[in-house]
Amino acid sequence: MLKNYFKIAIAVLRRRKFFTFISLFGISFTLTILIVLAAFINNIARSAYPDKKRDRSLYVMLMDQRSEKNGRNSGPPSFYFLDHYVGSMKTPEKISIASMFNATNTYINNKKLVINVKYTNDAFWDVMEFDFVEGKPYITQQIKNADKVTVITRDTRDSYFGEGVSAVGKYIETDNETYRVIGVVEDVPVTMLYAYGDMYLPYTLSKRDYLSKELNSNYTAVLLAKSAADLDQMKSEYQDVVSKVPVKGKEFDKLYSHADTYVASYTRILLGDGMESGIGKMFLILSLVAFLFMLLPTINLVNINTSRIMERSSEIGVRKAFGASSGTLVLQFITENIILTFLGGIIGLLLSWGIIFYINQSNLIPNIHLTIDFGVVFLGVLCCLVFGFLSGVYPAWRMSRLHVVTALKAN
Amino acid sequence: MIRHLFKMIWNKKKQNMLLMVEMLASFMVVFAVFTLLVYNYQNYRREMGFESDNVWVINFNNSENIASLDTILMFREAIRNQLKSMPEIKAVSYSSANVPFSMSTHNGTLDHNKQGISSVNRYTGEDSYDDVLDLELKEGRWFTKADFGLKDNAVVINSALRERLFGTGPAVGQYIGDVSGDERRNKIVGVVKDTKFKGDFQAVEYDMFHRADTGSYRYLSQLIVKVIPGASTDFEGRLHKTMSSAIKNANVEIEHLSEKRVVRNNLSLVPMIILLIVAGFLIINVALGLFGVLWYNISKRRGEIGLRRAVGASGVSISKQLVGEALVLSTLSLIIGSFFAIQFPLLHLFDLPSGVYIMAWLLSLLFIYLLVMLCAFYPGRQAAAINPAVALHEE
Repeated sequence: MLKNYFKIAIAVLRRRKFFTFISLFGISFTLTILIVLAAFINNIARSAYPDKKRDRSLYVMLMDQRSEKNGRNSGPPSFYFLDHYVGSMKTPEKISIASMFNATNTYINNKKLVINVKYTNDAFWDVMEFDFVEGKPYITQQIKNADKVTVITRDTRDSYFGEGVSAVGKYIETDNETYRVIGVVEDVPVTMLYAYGDMYLPYTLSKRDYLSKELNSNYTAVLLAKSAADLDQMKSEYQDVVSKVPVKGKEFDKLYSHADTYVASYTRILLGDGMESGIGKMFLILSLVAFLFMLLPTINLVNINTSRIMERSSEIGVRKAFGASSGTLVLQFITENIILTFLGGIIGLLLSWGIIFYINQSNLIPNIHLTIDFGVVFLGVLCCLVFGFLSGVYPAWRMSRLHVVTALKAN
Repeated sequence: MIRHLFKMIWNKKKQNMLLMVEMLASFMVVFAVFTLLVYNYQNYRREMGFESDNVWVINFNNSENIASLDTILMFREAIRNQLKSMPEIKAVSYSSANVPFSMSTHNGTLDHNKQGISSVNRYTGEDSYDDVLDLELKEGRWFTKADFGLKDNAVVINSALRERLFGTGPAVGQYIGDVSGDERRNKIVGVVKDTKFKGDFQAVEYDMFHRADTGSYRYLSQLIVKVIPGASTDFEGRLHKTMSSAIKNANVEIEHLSEKRVVRNNLSLVPMIILLIVAGFLIINVALGLFGVLWYNISKRRGEIGLRRAVGASGVSISKQLVGEALVLSTLSLIIGSFFAIQFPLLHLFDLPSGVYIMAWLLSLLFIYLLVMLCAFYPGRQAAAINPAVALHEE
């Protein structure tokens, strides 16, 4: 039965090549754009080098102090808050604390380099799984001594010391300070805000006063649980800790800070408010955009399909005359349409594979590596199904209501 | 003729309904795109109002450890003098963090005559701020040393704010409330031309410039300097060294306004380009679809067309009729579309000037008509070429 439908579908496709082209063009391009978009979102959201343990990590990037009168002061929390309060938590196995990246300048051989510096604690190297090209990370003792040591990325090494030259043991100067290189790691894309930097330094070398008892400064934290099952417990313990933080001074009276899953830690900044993480809002916006984007191609496809189906009125008339029910016919046409959309889907996948390959190759966004993984393909297949179903239902319904006599007479 | 066309469309209303929905949806997409394009283009055409070439920004975030205000003032003065003595530097000014093309904004509501004017940008600079950025004064003067220590704050506003506050009346010498709501009076000493500090695509905004007073030096952590054309990297290195040895406990970073401008513009350009690509693809899609459906419809009407040819209609009149039908159909959907489009300026959605919507509306009408004509033209020509004998024979 299905084989028959398939045969008919292929035969119909070959009959009117121009229409087939239009349908396939619409489907494949719509899917390509959706898949590339999904690959981007996926790239941002999923665990990747060096942040490989996202399924059992919580992220802290926002300290929001408020008062009715003085407005709000929101931004990344301070080292003091993360070290003193969050550091006292029991559930996390490790707590990585790192500053946001700061741009610094260095001038070498009449060339200007912008080096983004990140100050971290030692747990940073355990929570993030960096691949070391050479050397090793700094340890607790070196941080305590405020040793002027640093770990740099491959890119930084290549532009400062020369391509492929070993750097461990050498000295690098930036922002008018000199540091001894003790390790070189693979590059991190700038989209990974918690891990990105060109150069990593012990937090004790920070020129900012890391002991200041202000609650807002420019640090972030990653809380690593022993297993994914502990995440909820860790969240509630974090809230307990936050509730015990004294709201200092007269300026503010409310204080919000959350340990979130990776994506929620971003949506909270963009769309969140107080206790609301904003992740629901984000899904709503994304699906609305996708829906609006798919609306036009769907209407277009409905139009074309209606024309095509009406062209086959004689076939329909004959089948009806021989006793085929409306249901069978509708099913047949929807199946045919889904076969068509799947063809378009395959082309769309190939196209998006090409585009993603191009984006990765051309280094449009430095160090980003987009992939099409199972989830994205699944999404593509799902889109195909919805697409094929939606654009097939109306024409099939119109067709099935054709009267036998009119259908036969039309030819 | 038109009545006849309407009748033909009405007879096939079910089939035409879908076509109309498609045209309506495309009209809305095109309208959205044109609104954005017209808006950005209008902003782009306005003058920058200041000069960003050869201007560098020195960020030295943080000097939390310095204790007394006097020390800070002396310290700042020393740095300024040191920089001024460099032959490559033409002018120097401390500035608040919202330097041109930065992501940082300081704004608030300005109370004036009991009415609040929201989103007034607030910039803080020194007496030489206008020399560094080449601001163009339209009335009055920029700050001078004489403004120091007076009872009232000296402020400079831009033309847009001037017009909003005083219309055509006198502005210089008038008093306005403070953005932060404190009670000290602000006296206007000058009016500058509107500037586009937020990139080439910035809309007109209200700006207010404050003279850096002794208290503000605690948080001013940016310096803007005008350098001579062709200042070398070597000089920049020396400047960096000078700054970082002067301010021991700070990260020093030097940025060029010309580079910041590119980055800032990309924030507007990249979404626009992505939108154009997506919309372009949608339009191609729709065009192909329309073309296909019209072609198919016409090929189904061979008998009718053959008959008309046989009783004497010319080929031109046949193709005119078919294109006309398509145009009437699109007019119907454009009327519905215009009804939705008109809501944007009426309900003040998105806060854009009405002129932008009207321009975008006209452009989208033109665009859809052209698109439909283009799609109907070829099928119309095909129909005109129908040989009556052949067509009627088939029938």
